[in-house]
Parts: sequence; C-alpha cells; structure tokens
Amino acid sequence: MTLKDSNRPNSVSCAEFQEQLPDLFAAGATGHIEDSELAGHLKTCENCSALIRDLEYIAEQAKQLLQPQEPSDNVWKKIQEGLATDTSYAAKSHKE
Amino acid sequence: MEVQGLQMTEAKTAPGLFKRNPPIAGEAEAIERAKAGDAEAFSKLYALHKRRVYTLCLRMLGNVSEAEDMTQEAFLHLFRKIGSFRGESAFSTWLHRLTVNLVLMHLRKKGLQLVSLEETINPSEEDSPKRDFGSRDTQLAGSVDRVALERAVASLPPGYRMVFVLHDVEGFEHNEIAVMLECSTGNSKSQLHKARLKLRELLRQAEATPQADLKEAAL
Ligand SMILES: [Zn+2]
Repeated sequence: MTLKDSNRPNSVSCAEFQEQLPDLFAAGATGHIEDSELAGHLKTCENCSALIRDLEYIAEQAKQLLQPQEPSDNVWKKIQEGLATDTSYAAKSHKE
Repeated sequence: MEVQGLQMTEAKTAPGLFKRNPPIAGEAEAIERAKAGDAEAFSKLYALHKRRVYTLCLRMLGNVSEAEDMTQEAFLHLFRKIGSFRGESAFSTWLHRLTVNLVLMHLRKKGLQLVSLEETINPSEEDSPKRDFGSRDTQLAGSVDRVALERAVASLPPGYRMVFVLHDVEGFEHNEIAVMLECSTGNSKSQLHKARLKLRELLRQAEATPQADLKEAAL
C-alpha cells in the first residue's frame, strides 16, 4: 500500500480507503485528508464520497434525537410509591 | 492494533462537556430541600429533569417500557443519594452520569456485552454492516426526519446504539465513552462507524418503502 507508483493513481482500493474511515472521522479529517493516496482515492471515487456524505449527514441528524420526550404519568406515580416505602423504612429504622 | 483498554484508565473530568446544561432557576433551593426529605422538592426536581432523563434512557434502550423503568430507577436512586451531591459538578451533569451508569449496569445485568472486543480485533464480515464497495445506487435523500431516525436507532444492536447515542447524540468524546463502556478508544471509534453504516443501511431501506412507514407512524 505504500508503493509510490504514479502510474496507478488509484492504488488505494475502496476497502482500504474505508478501513481508514473510523480514524478519519474521529479526527474530524474527512474534509481534508492529508494522506495523498487516500485523498486521491476520495477525489476519484464517487462511491466513497457518497458514503462519507451520508455518514456525515447521519452524524449531523443525530442531534434531532436530543429533542426531549415526555415520560408517562405512571413513572412519577411509581417513583412516589418507591419513595413512600423508603420513608416508612427510614422511619422504622430511626425508631430502633 | 492497540492494547485494549489501557490508554484511558483515569476518569476524565471534562470541563465544558455539558455546556447545554446551564443552572436552572429554583434548582439549588429544591436540591437543598430534597436533601432534608421535602416531598415537594422531589416533585420539583422530577418536573425539571424528567424529560432529559427519560429521553436519554429512551435513546440508549430503544424502547418505551424499559426507558420508563430506568427513569423510575434513576430518580429513586437520585433521591436516595441526593445527600451525597456536593455541587462540584452541575446537578444535571451528575444526574446524567448517574442515569448513564444505571442504564449500563442494567444492560450488563441483562448479559449484554456492550462492545464486543473480538469483533474489533477479528471483524467477522457477517456481523458487520455490509461495506459499500461498488454499489452506486441511492444516496440518502437529505430528508431523514426524526421519526425515521428514531426507529432506525432503536433497531440498532445495543452495543452500536450505545456508542452512537453517547457520541453523536449526547456529544461525548471517544475517550470518555471508552471509560464508560470499559473498552478502548479504538473500539469506540469502530463501533461508532459500524453504527453509522448500519443506520445508513436502515435509513435507505426506510426510504425505499416510505409510504407504509409513514402511515404506520401517523397512527
Ligand atoms: Zn472508493
């Protein structure tokens, strides 16, 4: 993979390129890949560019899931029941 | 290949991690009263934080009934332990961590291996989402709505879902996730990548059959 063979502009395969993706994403480097062979692959490979666009899009859309949801009223009822047993337990153990 | 689990053993206190959790009016007072066992103060704290805690549980667990159970657990735990809250971190941060830890404990109790180490060392091709060589078909339309995304995330395998929610939804860094899940940062990175690949696959499938999905969601 380190062969600097200028006659083979696509010396990096899709598989090899995609293997680097977890690290590239973690470094936030998918937009400016330093390794020239990887960068060269991305420039010429529509498949891998589409993949990166989709994955970046998914990561961006994930923020939608922060939008708060409401638990049912039942949850608070059960918490109160739980607290009530706690308190009676605490009261009893204080007496002893 | 890195040595598993060695690089991040110290717990990291990340200042500014929970920037979205500014102090809430009346909260400090409610905390003090709750420490003294004031029932109304409990109710106030619950009202202030129930949505955040429940939503976090829902995202991590992927279903309503477990999420409600864990929300209940988290608040009962909170009220029992509130005496030990010393205000060194924001209350919401403290509660958030407590919730994440409870959910992780719950999942481990269920016998769930959150991040499979072997899988990362020896990726089994059947298990990981299909790599995308060659197929030049559709790209995501750029219009994935929250409902579709929620469903796709809920149907991820739990280990993938956990890392995706912690990183992409909640904004934790890989080194923090590694500490929480007791795995390496490399694991966290690779699980996240697999989670996003799987989501892409699921979302494409959903886009291919949008009508039935929308009708069902509207019910
Ligand atoms: Zn490619």
